[in-house]
Amino acid sequence: MFKLAAKAIEIAHKHKAEFGDIRIIEERRQNLGVKNGEISSLTDQVTLGYGIRVLCRGAWGFASGSVMTERAVADTALKAIAIAKASRLLMAGRVRLAPEPAYTDFWQTPFTKDPFTIPVETKLDLMFKTDAVLRKNKKIRVASSEMRFIREHQWHMTTDGSRIEQVLLSSGANISATAVENGDVQTRAYPCTHGGQTLAGGWEIIEAMDMPGHAERVRDEAVALLTAPACPAGVSDLIISGNQLALQIHESVGHASELDRVLGYEESYAGSSFATTDKLGHFRYGSPIVNLVADATLPGGLATAGYDDDAVKAQRWHIVKDGILSGYMTNREFCGKIGKKRSRGSCRADGYSNIPITRICNLSLMPGSTPLEQLVGEVKNGIMMENNMSWSIDQKRLNFQFGCEIGWLIKNGKKTKMVKNPTYQGITPEFWGSCDAIADHQQWRLWGVANCGKGQPGQTAMMCHGSSPARFRKIKIGMHG
Amino acid sequence: MHPGPAGSIVKIMKNIETVCKKIFSLAGKVQCEVMAEVREGALTRFADNVISQNVASSSADYMVRLLDNGRTAKINFNQAGDDSLKRAIISGLEILKKQKKDPALLPLAKPRPVAPGKNLFFKETAELSPAYRAGKAAELAKACKRSGQISCGTFENSASELVIANNLGLFARHRETSATHSVTVRDRDGFGWAERTAHDVNEIPFALLNASARAKAAGSRAPKEIKAGRYTVILEPQAASDILSCLAVFGFAGQLYNEGRSFICGKLGKKLLSPLLTIEDNALDGAAPGMTFDYEGQPRTKVKLIENGIIKAPVHDRKTAKAAKTASTGHALPQPSYMGPIPLNLSVKPGQGTLEDLIKGTERGILVTQFHYTNMLKEQDVEMTGMTRNGTFMVENGKITFPVKNLRFTQNMVEAFSNVEAVSGEAVPCAAWGAMACPAFRIKNFNFSSSTKF
Repeated sequence: MFKLAAKAIEIAHKHKAEFGDIRIIEERRQNLGVKNGEISSLTDQVTLGYGIRVLCRGAWGFASGSVMTERAVADTALKAIAIAKASRLLMAGRVRLAPEPAYTDFWQTPFTKDPFTIPVETKLDLMFKTDAVLRKNKKIRVASSEMRFIREHQWHMTTDGSRIEQVLLSSGANISATAVENGDVQTRAYPCTHGGQTLAGGWEIIEAMDMPGHAERVRDEAVALLTAPACPAGVSDLIISGNQLALQIHESVGHASELDRVLGYEESYAGSSFATTDKLGHFRYGSPIVNLVADATLPGGLATAGYDDDAVKAQRWHIVKDGILSGYMTNREFCGKIGKKRSRGSCRADGYSNIPITRICNLSLMPGSTPLEQLVGEVKNGIMMENNMSWSIDQKRLNFQFGCEIGWLIKNGKKTKMVKNPTYQGITPEFWGSCDAIADHQQWRLWGVANCGKGQPGQTAMMCHGSSPARFRKIKIGMHG
Repeated sequence: MHPGPAGSIVKIMKNIETVCKKIFSLAGKVQCEVMAEVREGALTRFADNVISQNVASSSADYMVRLLDNGRTAKINFNQAGDDSLKRAIISGLEILKKQKKDPALLPLAKPRPVAPGKNLFFKETAELSPAYRAGKAAELAKACKRSGQISCGTFENSASELVIANNLGLFARHRETSATHSVTVRDRDGFGWAERTAHDVNEIPFALLNASARAKAAGSRAPKEIKAGRYTVILEPQAASDILSCLAVFGFAGQLYNEGRSFICGKLGKKLLSPLLTIEDNALDGAAPGMTFDYEGQPRTKVKLIENGIIKAPVHDRKTAKAAKTASTGHALPQPSYMGPIPLNLSVKPGQGTLEDLIKGTERGILVTQFHYTNMLKEQDVEMTGMTRNGTFMVENGKITFPVKNLRFTQNMVEAFSNVEAVSGEAVPCAAWGAMACPAFRIKNFNFSSSTKF
């Protein structure tokens, strides 16, 4: 593949591009699903193509194609150069990229069992077994089990001299049960909602989930939610667990710390950020126990790789340190605007057909020192919420509202009755400022976000957020229309 | 399109029937369906009055579904050379053999006559150059720069062709072009926004959109904070379409209806919404036309979803229609589909007067330009939340009096659309789940649950 890639680099050099790169990507995806005793999906997909970026006289051009000949690669490179020429019609100054050494390397996601060698029958058997347990109650109208596997083989070559080959592998699954009665609909999922849990690795991730072993609880809780009281409205202490805290991190810290958004380059679509560059290093984002670390080297992380799509080596750094805004997700184009000489390596593209953009890296809330029992035990009147159902946040990432799958009231330090349709609302720095305890490392785990949307044309990226359950004081809960 | 590898794509489009025949031949005796989509697109993105991204893509994707004796498998690929085709189909047949039998699996659809529909392909729109796109960005950016405003946005154009064919003789083909001009203007702490999508680029009123976004930004400077609570709202078409499309999709999807998860369950023929609300799904000759066949190659039919507030009918594909003991309305998504059939070409019936008339008739209310990050809290009630964005104004005694800081709504939309006071007389194309034409609405007693800082 590097021979084909070299054609694009040759064209970029010939046209005196300051920078040019080509990413050839072969991707295999397998999606399987069983719903109500029937196969709801069974798709095997293989795509191959390339995206070419050129920076000519300070302006960007990008074009992609899937015709795998030297002629087509050359034509696509010329198309990118023509687009760069048009970009020069409206520019304020030349784009300059932060320097990065040239690398020649091979990197691969560690795994123990290649999911693409596991027979389809084995995967379907596991899902049908789970499905049968999920449907053992007539109130369950929708039982669903899904699996997905992605292997992305990249060949990345730059005019800087980098020649990087990477193979990224991820595996994911989920189960859910939806109970319906008297016009009410309640869903419970495991390990989490929105496409389930996906991590970097192989079939061992699915084995560790033990989907059939959790099906009975998922089914029974979905049915129990039908008759549970609604989440009360008011102001309450709140403990967040499961993938809800991961999504809280994602929406209120992850996107808010993408430097392209902060600088206004996403204003027309996803929005900007309240975490402006004048706040860097002194703005109180959360209470002093809040530490949020971005890490492209994190084992199991969906954003973990040897290099990003700017050919920058993987790094680990603080976004929030002891409650203070301390860093951003950066790429080679924008890091200089905050005085940084080197990108943090948070630039990634969705497949071959999209231009690399600034992306959330794996971003985790560091564990605290409070045992979980104490976290609950210190709450007189409160609520615990788990797993996301609904999410919404304003375009500066300040005002948010989340709906969760399930809640439990806490009375005098004890988790008591189940409540349905729990929601909470807040303003980002006030919310993180109210965090007074984070459970210890024994509760810390990694949650995958496999469907993060951003950019125009729309791109999907994957990343992980690690967290232990955390406690927030005096939060507005129970909003309904 | 702009000169480049487009020649290869055009060749693929011309050869698609040959590729289908090769796939059918490789599939042998098993039932085989091919969905092929060829697309060329380009997008120029600008921010801070400069071009920030400028991209183009070409793709040709094939989705092949194989069925045999109650078993099914699906393979997707984008390389259609003889060797690649052979590898892909052999791998699909291998998966098929190991597959479990599905007693509910329907055989492939037989060919049925499909109406030609409106012409949605415009050569000029397909062939817009990077310089044209950059010029459209520059028109707004230069005007903004002169007046101390900041422009952001996109100009996008694409051409695509989709073929659904199977070895029972079905062959359906659709092609269309699309252009979108979407602009956001910032004027210190004021924001304005406007957007239009059209199949023919000549239908986009560029100057009007630019002027509207600029005026909104200037008019929304120094917004005041108001208390959350229940207000009359005037929803401009884009804001109304954002929530109405969810009402239509989550309410009228045949599968959700069959599963008892829709607000229309048990309500067919009943008046549940405002008599001012009428919505039809009409891909054929409605105000938001599209492909005249569905993703099984079956003819799309016009379906009245809501007529004068009365709940009429959900949309179906062959599978959900069989379960509901009715006929398919031709609304299948690519099979197998987890979501099931949904309406994708929504025409909302206009009322009378203009947006200005809606404002004039408001004693006290809030004018909303656009909603941001809307999401479902409870799908069975279409209870939603989201933020206002890019121009939110207080209206008092029939006039806009001052801009307000953005608000979060948390609202049951079945209730909201039973509280409609007035509908404007013009339905405009809006971005939604699919295509949609929607007028502006005035709704009383709309719930804002909190406000934000800007």
